[in-house]
Amino acid sequence: MNTIALAGNPNSGKSSVFNQLTGLRQKVANFPGVTVEKKVGTLQLPDGEKVTVVDLPGAYSLYPTSGDEQVVLNVLTNPSDESYPEAIVYIADVTHLEKHLLLLTQIKDLGLPCLLALNMSDIAEKEGIRADVKQLTDFLKIPVVPVSGRMGTNIDMLKQAISMLLKEQKASQPFYTPNAEEQSVIERIQSGLEVENPYRALLLAHHFNKLPFLKKEEKQAISNICEEENFQDIRLQIAETMRRYDLFTPALQRSIFKENEKTTFTDRLDNILTHRFLAPLIFFAIMFLVFQAIFAWAEYPMEWIETGFASLGEFFKNTLPAGWFTNLLTEGILAGLGGILVFVPQIAILFLLITILEEVGYMARAVFIFDKLMQQFGLNGRSVVALISGGACAIPAIMSTRTIGNWKERLITILVTPFISCSARIPVYTVLIGFVVPSETVLGIFNLQGLAFMGLYLLGIAAALVSAYIFKIILKSGEPSWLMMQLPPYRLPSWRNVWHTIYEKVSAFVIEAGKVIMVISIILWALATFGPPGAMEKAENEAIATAQKEALDETTTADLIAAERIEASYAGHLGKIIEPAIEPLGFDWKIGIALITSFAAREVFVATMATIYSIGSSDDEATIHDRLAEARNPKTGAKVYTAATSLSLLIFYVFAMQCMSTLAVVKRETGGWKWPMIQFTFMSGLAYLGSLLVYQLMS
Amino acid sequence: MNSPISHLKAGIVGKIAHFTNDEIAGKLMTMGVLPGSKVQVVRIAPFRGGFYLKIDGINMVVRLQEASNIVLEVV
Repeated sequence: MNTIALAGNPNSGKSSVFNQLTGLRQKVANFPGVTVEKKVGTLQLPDGEKVTVVDLPGAYSLYPTSGDEQVVLNVLTNPSDESYPEAIVYIADVTHLEKHLLLLTQIKDLGLPCLLALNMSDIAEKEGIRADVKQLTDFLKIPVVPVSGRMGTNIDMLKQAISMLLKEQKASQPFYTPNAEEQSVIERIQSGLEVENPYRALLLAHHFNKLPFLKKEEKQAISNICEEENFQDIRLQIAETMRRYDLFTPALQRSIFKENEKTTFTDRLDNILTHRFLAPLIFFAIMFLVFQAIFAWAEYPMEWIETGFASLGEFFKNTLPAGWFTNLLTEGILAGLGGILVFVPQIAILFLLITILEEVGYMARAVFIFDKLMQQFGLNGRSVVALISGGACAIPAIMSTRTIGNWKERLITILVTPFISCSARIPVYTVLIGFVVPSETVLGIFNLQGLAFMGLYLLGIAAALVSAYIFKIILKSGEPSWLMMQLPPYRLPSWRNVWHTIYEKVSAFVIEAGKVIMVISIILWALATFGPPGAMEKAENEAIATAQKEALDETTTADLIAAERIEASYAGHLGKIIEPAIEPLGFDWKIGIALITSFAAREVFVATMATIYSIGSSDDEATIHDRLAEARNPKTGAKVYTAATSLSLLIFYVFAMQCMSTLAVVKRETGGWKWPMIQFTFMSGLAYLGSLLVYQLMS
Repeated sequence: MNSPISHLKAGIVGKIAHFTNDEIAGKLMTMGVLPGSKVQVVRIAPFRGGFYLKIDGINMVVRLQEASNIVLEVV
């Protein structure tokens, strides 16, 4: 199958065109060796031929200043790369064509067959911008097609043109003529390394140090040539860039016609939305509405999923023969699956709203508004997006940090994002908060528990910022940090793009978190189901005896058996082993079991507590709360869930790194176990110290 | 009068005369910010936290460090 690649600047609307060409026939993977997303789809051409479409990351030129741009260079200068295309479809924003052609002229010089798609032609029409397609075609000597990725205009014409391009396989003519200095280096590299294309040879001279596909001897050879020829990297780069603009700018003035520019809608809106003092207030108001919406809208679908899985479990229990397999299926696999899917509504709604904000262009403004503040904490304006996403789930949030170019800023963002209270902490907060603050209304409108909830969120944000500040001081970085970012004009979102992004984020969560939660759920199921030989049966028999003596009904008996069994199981033993370590925090072995099981995902705490306190048959948070309230220490008779213990436990859940899935994603994004281990240690250390302090002060 | 953007006030309009840092110049030029480009300083965030510029009709933000390396010929 032939491969074509989509290339273009960031903001060229490349992904809209990609979605139009490939529909849902697309996959997301990573480019080899780096965590840059590689979107691959299949396109069916009008003549029935199928081609693979690779969506290259947005880039301004083949002189990379970010990981995304480096990938484009790596692919296009390496004909043996698996993504190396037969042809390039270059996407440019026709409303600012003069800023979008640099990369095209460079790609043309590599000799790849190209065509130019003038995207956003619908907007151009509205703004009174006209492009003379014939003039452009004559000047660039490649096919030119006006399209609109957002509206789907002329997509068929684009497919036709791609079909022609692949049939003709006509190499592009070079655009730029190297100067004498460049020419001598090019010739020596061409003959010394058997490079056919002259511009490719020049790019090798500029970038050999950073190109992963070059062998050590090749790098050495190029390095020697550059040294002998006294090759002046940055000066020649600037001269080349300047020459290219000089070549195409006059031609564009002949082929693009603009009506007089006036103050645009975007400028007027930005007068308010990026106002020096109003901007942060507006931002917080929007975020407040976003999180309100999540809580309001997610409640019902979450309930459906919960009851759905509960009845599915019941169904299997009743129809399948009793035994360890049915037990594994219902308590291990189904419970694990339910625990994953129940968060889908919250995550989908948050990303729906974030994507809309991104699509209309507001997120770029948020980056501008918070860049200075975030820099004080060693972060980047773009970290704001990750931190907000962390309010749903740290996994897609951490994956979204890929847009941060500076490694140190990106790393710090990854390390502190899990402090933001994610959806899995909410059930834990809900159950425990009642022990710490009464449900009273103060000042007429504020519910005290609601305020406490907010306090926990703020505590998480504060922990994120303070630890970011500490990392900023500790970590060294020689890499320069920049922010040069275009603010796209405000426009209505493309619902197709919104839908695609939500689909991507939710699948990231379901797959990344899913596989880890699944495995751990099964391990935990085994730990809670099996115990030392004989111990489980003994516990069960004792429970039955007790039940008979006290004439308990069926449900209560089953609950009691479950509670006795978990105490006798390996999980129970583990809980007792760690009890001495957590006693100073006010926790007993039962809480210990819940802490261990929380490593699958924090919300498992609630279900585990329900089982331990013999109310396994109930998953209602109010019932669990009531039951916990009655729990007493068997030795002293004192209540277990005092305000001190509960607050200590809450603090623990705010700070502790209890999510294996997040650690797995951090490992992948940072390329090793070093950073996830550091993250686990400092977060859990902070959790332990915080809980210790709170419990010892309060009791 | 030539002056780095970082020394200017919001509302000032000019043309880019030159850059004073090659690496920043390289990056900005790939984004189409060139000597001769028309620049309007639209807004400066509190504590000079960021510079909102309009360059040849495109809205762009840069940090103080970048702004101090773009020299504007104020007209």
